[in-house]
Amino acid sequence: MDTLQAGLSGVLVGGLYALMAAGLSITWGVLRIINLIHFGLILLGAYLTFQIASSWNVDPMLTLVITMPALFVLGALVQWTFDRLAISELSSLLLSFGLLIVIVQGISNLWSADFRQMSAEVNPYATRSVSLGGLDLVFPLPTLLAFGLAVVLIGGAHVALRRTFTGRALRAFAQDRAIAAAFGIDHRRIGVLLAGAAGATAAAAGMLFAMSTALTPATAFEWFGTVFAVVILGGIGHLLGTLVAGLLVGALGAVVTVLISAAAEPFVLFSTIVLVLLLRPQGLFAHGGTR
Amino acid sequence: MRSSKYRLLTLVAAGALVASAAAACEQKSGTDSGSQASDKPIVVGSTLSLSGAFAATGNIHKIAGQQFVDQLNKNGGLLGRQVKWLVRDDESDQAKVSTLYEQLITQDKVDLIIGPYATPNILSAMAVAARHGYTLPQHTAVIAPLMTYSCQFPAWSIGPKPNEYVPNQLFDAVASTPDPPKRVAILTNQNGSTDFVSYGAGENKTGMVSIAKQRGLNVVLEARYPPTTTNWASLATRVRDAKPDLVVNDGLGVDPVGLLQAMKQLNYRPPMMFSLFPAPGPLLGLGETAQGLLSVTIFEPNKPTLDKLGQNASSIVDEFKSRATQAKLPYTVFETQAAASWNAWEILTSGVKGAGKLEQKAICDSLHAKGADTTFSGHLTFDPKANNFWPTTLAIKQIQDRDWVTVWPAERAAAKLRASAG
Amino acid sequence: MRAALSRRRGLWGFPLAFVALAMLSLYRETIGFPVFYLTLLTTILFWTAQSTSWNILSGYSGYFSFGQAAFVGVGAYTTAVLYGRHQVDFYVTLGCSAVLCAVLALFVGGLAFRLRSLRGEIFALLTLAVPFILGALAQLNSAIDGGQGIIVTVPPFPSQLGLFQDYLYLISLAVAVGAVWAAYAIQHSRFGWALSAIRDAEDVAEGLGVATFRYKMLAIMVSGVIGGVSGSIFALQIGFVAVTSVFNLTVPLFVIVMSVLGGRAHWLGPVLGAGLVTLLQDRLTASGLADWRLVVLGGVLAVLVVIAPEGLYVRLRARPWPALAAFAVIVVGLRLANAFGGPLDWILYGALAAVVIAVLPGRLGRKTGTARAERTDRPEPTERKAAVPDRPSPDDDEPAPTGAEVLVECEDVARYFGGVRALDGVTLRIGSGELVGLVGPNGSGKTTMVSLLAGTLRPTRGTIRVAGRDIAGLPPHRVAHAGVARTYQIPRPFGSMTVRDNVAMAIMFGREPRSLPRARAAAERHIGFVGLGHLADARPDALNLHQRQLLEMARALGTNPKVLFLDEALAGLTPAEIDNAVEVVRRIQRGGTSIVIVEHLLRVVNQLATRIVVLDKGTLLADGEPRTVMRDPAVVQAYLGKRAHA
Repeated sequence: MDTLQAGLSGVLVGGLYALMAAGLSITWGVLRIINLIHFGLILLGAYLTFQIASSWNVDPMLTLVITMPALFVLGALVQWTFDRLAISELSSLLLSFGLLIVIVQGISNLWSADFRQMSAEVNPYATRSVSLGGLDLVFPLPTLLAFGLAVVLIGGAHVALRRTFTGRALRAFAQDRAIAAAFGIDHRRIGVLLAGAAGATAAAAGMLFAMSTALTPATAFEWFGTVFAVVILGGIGHLLGTLVAGLLVGALGAVVTVLISAAAEPFVLFSTIVLVLLLRPQGLFAHGGTR
Repeated sequence: MRSSKYRLLTLVAAGALVASAAAACEQKSGTDSGSQASDKPIVVGSTLSLSGAFAATGNIHKIAGQQFVDQLNKNGGLLGRQVKWLVRDDESDQAKVSTLYEQLITQDKVDLIIGPYATPNILSAMAVAARHGYTLPQHTAVIAPLMTYSCQFPAWSIGPKPNEYVPNQLFDAVASTPDPPKRVAILTNQNGSTDFVSYGAGENKTGMVSIAKQRGLNVVLEARYPPTTTNWASLATRVRDAKPDLVVNDGLGVDPVGLLQAMKQLNYRPPMMFSLFPAPGPLLGLGETAQGLLSVTIFEPNKPTLDKLGQNASSIVDEFKSRATQAKLPYTVFETQAAASWNAWEILTSGVKGAGKLEQKAICDSLHAKGADTTFSGHLTFDPKANNFWPTTLAIKQIQDRDWVTVWPAERAAAKLRASAG
Repeated sequence: MRAALSRRRGLWGFPLAFVALAMLSLYRETIGFPVFYLTLLTTILFWTAQSTSWNILSGYSGYFSFGQAAFVGVGAYTTAVLYGRHQVDFYVTLGCSAVLCAVLALFVGGLAFRLRSLRGEIFALLTLAVPFILGALAQLNSAIDGGQGIIVTVPPFPSQLGLFQDYLYLISLAVAVGAVWAAYAIQHSRFGWALSAIRDAEDVAEGLGVATFRYKMLAIMVSGVIGGVSGSIFALQIGFVAVTSVFNLTVPLFVIVMSVLGGRAHWLGPVLGAGLVTLLQDRLTASGLADWRLVVLGGVLAVLVVIAPEGLYVRLRARPWPALAAFAVIVVGLRLANAFGGPLDWILYGALAAVVIAVLPGRLGRKTGTARAERTDRPEPTERKAAVPDRPSPDDDEPAPTGAEVLVECEDVARYFGGVRALDGVTLRIGSGELVGLVGPNGSGKTTMVSLLAGTLRPTRGTIRVAGRDIAGLPPHRVAHAGVARTYQIPRPFGSMTVRDNVAMAIMFGREPRSLPRARAAAERHIGFVGLGHLADARPDALNLHQRQLLEMARALGTNPKVLFLDEALAGLTPAEIDNAVEVVRRIQRGGTSIVIVEHLLRVVNQLATRIVVLDKGTLLADGEPRTVMRDPAVVQAYLGKRAHA
C-alpha cells in the first residue's frame, strides 16, 4: 500500500517538475535558447506569491492573476533582448547564467536569505489533501493542484501548438527557420510570445512551490538537476514528453524512496538519465529527429 | 639548432637550481605579526555564509556578532581599545572559506579570528587557523571528534560525544511522559553533522539508532535521505505505515516542515516528533501542525529563563529583535544560533582579557587554564582531551502554543514537557 | 621563421614562467612580496588548471562538458581517502588521482563518443549527470568518507620553502604550469589541429583520415588527468572534504565562465579568464559590497558574453598595445595618486580598462579586426620528421593506367533502414583511372552508396573492397587511408582554417602522416591544381559556392586518394563554372585517380564519364558505356522517362 501511495504522491509531485521544465524545454527546442533565467523566473514567481498572499492576506491561487501576466511580460522581455542581441545557443547559456546570478542575489537582497514561508492561515493548502473513498489513498492538495495545472497548461499548450495558426507556425519555425521565414512567419513575434508563455508557466510553478515549501534564494540552483533530467527524458522541445517525463521522474523518486532508500534516489535518477541519453538521445517519447 | 636548444635548457635548469639554493638560504619568518599600536582598533576577522545554501543562519550570526561588537565598544572595548569586525561573505563555499581566512590573517593582518557558520566551513577555517596558530572560537561545529585543533573553542557544546548525549537526553525526556513511546522511526539527513548524531563517526558507531535499540525501543523505521530532498510524500508514507510513537528526524533547516506537511496531507500526525537542527521560524508558521514538536536548544528566551539570567540577557534579546527586524529577517527571536554566536564572542574576549594581550598562544592557554564566562551558558571550562568540548548545557525545547519553550531537563525548563501533539 | 620562434618560446617559455613565478614565493621576503598575494595567486592557479583542463576537451574539440566537478571531486576524494584517512603518501595520491580520473574520463568518453548520433547538447547533459552520480555514490556508500567527510591535514614539506602557503602555491604552480604547457603543446601539434577540425566539422575530418574517436578520447583523458591532480591539491587547500564541497555546480559553471570569457580556442584564453574572474571576485568580496557582489559578477559576465562572444584573448590579440597601454596608464596613475584602494584594486582597474579598450572598438569593426586576428596567431605544430626530405606526390609523375586493375569491388551490397531498402543487392566494380558517372533519381540510393563506400555507413549485407582490402566495418578514417575520398554536395570546409590549412589538414592526416609545414607546402600544389592559388590565405566564408566546391576537391586530393567520389559537385553552378569544374575533374582523372561523379542530371555526366552506372530504387539498373546506357530501354523507362524534357 505504501508503495502505491508513494507512487501516487510522486506522480502528483511530478506535475510540478513538468511545469518547471516545460518552459525551459520549449524555448530550448524551438528558439534554441538555453534559458537559465527560467529558474530565476520560477523563484521570482514563488517569492511574489509569498509576498502578495502574505501582505494582502489573499489565497495563493489568486496571486496568479498578478504573477502570470507579470512573468509573461518579463519572459517576453528577456526573449526580445536575446533576439536583439542575436545570441547563439551557447552564449544564451552563459548570458542567462550571469543574469540568473543577478536575479537570485537581487531576491536575496529584497527578501533576505532566510527561509520564507506563507503562514498556515494564508496558505491552507499545504496541509490539506483529498481522500479517495473506498481505497486508502490520499491526494495531497498542493501536489494535486500541481498535477492539475501541469496537465491543463502543458496539455493546453500542446493542443494550441497543433490547432492554432501560431502554433503551426511555431512548429514550422522549430523544424526549419529558413522555410518558415519564407512563408512569412514573423519569428520575432512568435519567439516573444512563446517565451512569454514560458514565463507564465514559471509563475504557476513558482506559486506551487511557494505553496508547498519554505523558500530560500539558493533553491534556484538546486532545481537544476531534476529539471534538466525532466527536459532530457521528455526530449528537448516536446511538451507532452516533458509532462510524462515529469510524472515519471516524480514517481521514480518516490518508489525508489519506498523500495530502496531515499539516499538512493539521486543515484537512480541520474543513472537513468545517462541510460536514456545513451540509448534514446532524442528523449523517451520523441519519434525520430523532429522536435 | 639542436645545441642551442640544449644550451637554453641548461641555462633554465641552472637558473632554477640557483634560485632554489638561494631560497634555501633565505630566512623566512613565520606569520607576519600585526601592528600593535594601541590607538588603532583591534580587528577581528571572520567569514559568514551571507549568500548561498547556509545564508539563512549565517545572517543570524552576522546580526548577533555586530550587536556584540557594538555593545563591547560602548562599554570601553577590549584591552582599552575599540574592536572592529571584518566579516566577509564566503558564499557557503568551502574553498572560499579557506582562501578568505588566509587573506584575513596574512593580508588584513587581523588581530583575532572567529569561526564561520556550518560545520564544513568551520573545518576549513580550522585548518587555516591551525597553520597560523590562531585561536578560533567557533559557534556551531557538532562533529566533536573531527575538531582536533587544540586552540579551537566550541561555543555550542553537546559535550565531546553528541552522538551519545543527544539520543540519551531525548529518550530520557520522552520517558518521563505518562505513556512513553515504544516504537521509534529515525529519519536522517545525510549531512555530516546530522548523520553523526544518528550513526556516530569513524569506528564509534554509537548514535540515535544504536541507543534507541539499546534502550529497548523498537526501531520500526530507519531511513537516510539526501540533503537536497524537497519531496517528502514518500518518506511520510513510510512513516505513517510504520506507526511509530515517536518520529526522530535528525534533520536540518526546513526538513521537519516538509515532513510535517506531508504527513498532515496523509491525514496523519505522529504522537511525538523530534527534529535535531530545524530552522525555528518556519515551524512556528505551521501553526497547529507543528504543535508539540521537540528539538534541542542551548537557549530560548522564555520568561523564567530570562528572569533567572537577569536584566542584561533580556536587553540583549530585545536589542537583537529590533536589529533583526530592521534587517528584514522573518524570524527575529534570539535563540540557540544567536546564543551560540554570543558565546563565541564571549569566549574570544574572555581569552584576550585572560591573556592580557593579543598573542594567540597566550589567548589559547588562558582559555585552557581559566575558561570563559558567558551570559547564556555560564562559566565554561575547556578540556583539550575532549577537543575543548565543555560539559553541555543542551536542553530539549518544544513548540507550545506557537512558541518554543525549554522543557527538559527539569532544572532548566521553563515549562513542562507536554505528552502528545494533540 | 615564425615556426622556429614559437617553438623556442614553447621550449623554454614555460620553465621560465615557472621559475619566475616560483621566485615570488622563494624570494618573497627579499623582494617584499606579501604572502597574501600568494593566497590569491593559488586560487587563480587552481582555476587556471581547471579551466585549462576543461578547455583541452571542450574548448578545442567543441564538446561542452558540464562535468568538471567530477574530476575535481574524484581527485579531492582520492587524496582525502587515501592520504587523509589511510595515511598513504600525499604524492602517491596525486598519481592515483591522475589514474582514476583518466579511467573515469575514458569510461565517460567511451560511452559518449561511441554514440553515432552524439550531439553537443547530449554530451553536455551527459557530463552534467556524472558529478551528480558520483556524489550520490559517495553519499550512498558512507564507508568512503565515513559519512561526515574527511579532514585533510598538511603533508610534510621541506621547511626551506617557508609557510604552508608557499608550499601550496608552489605545487599549485607546478600543476597549473604543467596544465597550460600541455594545452600549449596540444594546440601546436597534430593533436590540436585534429581537435580544431573536429570542432569545425567532425565527420568531414573523419572522412579525411583524422582518427576522431582516438583524438577525442585522448583529449578527455588529458583533461581528466589535469583536473584530477588539481583536485587533489584542492583537497589540501580546503582541508576538509565532503560530498557537497566538491561535487557541486560551482566548479563546472565557473570553469565554463572563465574559459569562455578568456577565449576557448586558444591555450591562453582560460588563463586570462581565470585571472580576471578570480581577481574581480576577490576585490568585490574585499570591498564589503556583499549584497551587490554577485550582481556585479553576473552583470559583467552577461555583458562580456554579449559584446565579446569569442573571448577576450582574441580581442586583446587584435589590439594588444592600446590594451597594454591602458593597463599601464591606469595602474601607474593610481599608484602615483595612491588612490582607490591598494595594488590589487589598481591591477583590477587596469585589467578592466584593458578589457574595455580591447572590446569596445572591436564591436564596431568586428568583421575586419577579429576574423584576421583569430587566424594569424594560429601557430604551426612542431615538426616531427625533420630529417625526411619532401617527396613529390605521386600524381605528378606516375602515368595513368585506365581500368588496368579493379580498385573498388562491391559484391551484392545491401543496406536497409528499418523496413526501407535503400540499397538491395548491388554488385559493382570500378577500375583504376576510370571516370564513372553514378546516376539515378532522388531516392535511388546514390548517397547511400557513397556513404557505404566512404565507411560512414555499414552494409546490411555484402562485401566492399577497396584496393583488395575489405572495408566493411572499418571506421571512415581508415577507409580514407585505404584510398577513398569524397566531397560533399553542400561544401563543409573547416571554418576556422584558411583554404591552405583546410587542404593541409587532409595531407597531415593522410596515409603517410606529415608535419604541418610540409603539409602546407604540399597543399599549395593542390590549391593551384584546382585554381584556388590566389585564395590560399582566405577563410572559407569568403568563398563562393563554386570556389568551395573546388576547395572540397583540393582537400579530397590532399588525402592522395585512389578513388574520389564527387557528390553532386556540379549542382547549383553557372554554365561557366560547370565548364571550369569539368576541366578540373578531367585534370584529376589524368593524374591517375579514379573518379565517381554522383549526379542526378544524366546530361552532365554523359559528356564526362567513360562509363555510367544507373541506380533505381536501390538496385543496379544499368552499367556500361554512356551510349549504351542512354539507349537502355529500362533506363529510359525508369529514369529518363520522367526527365526527358528536363
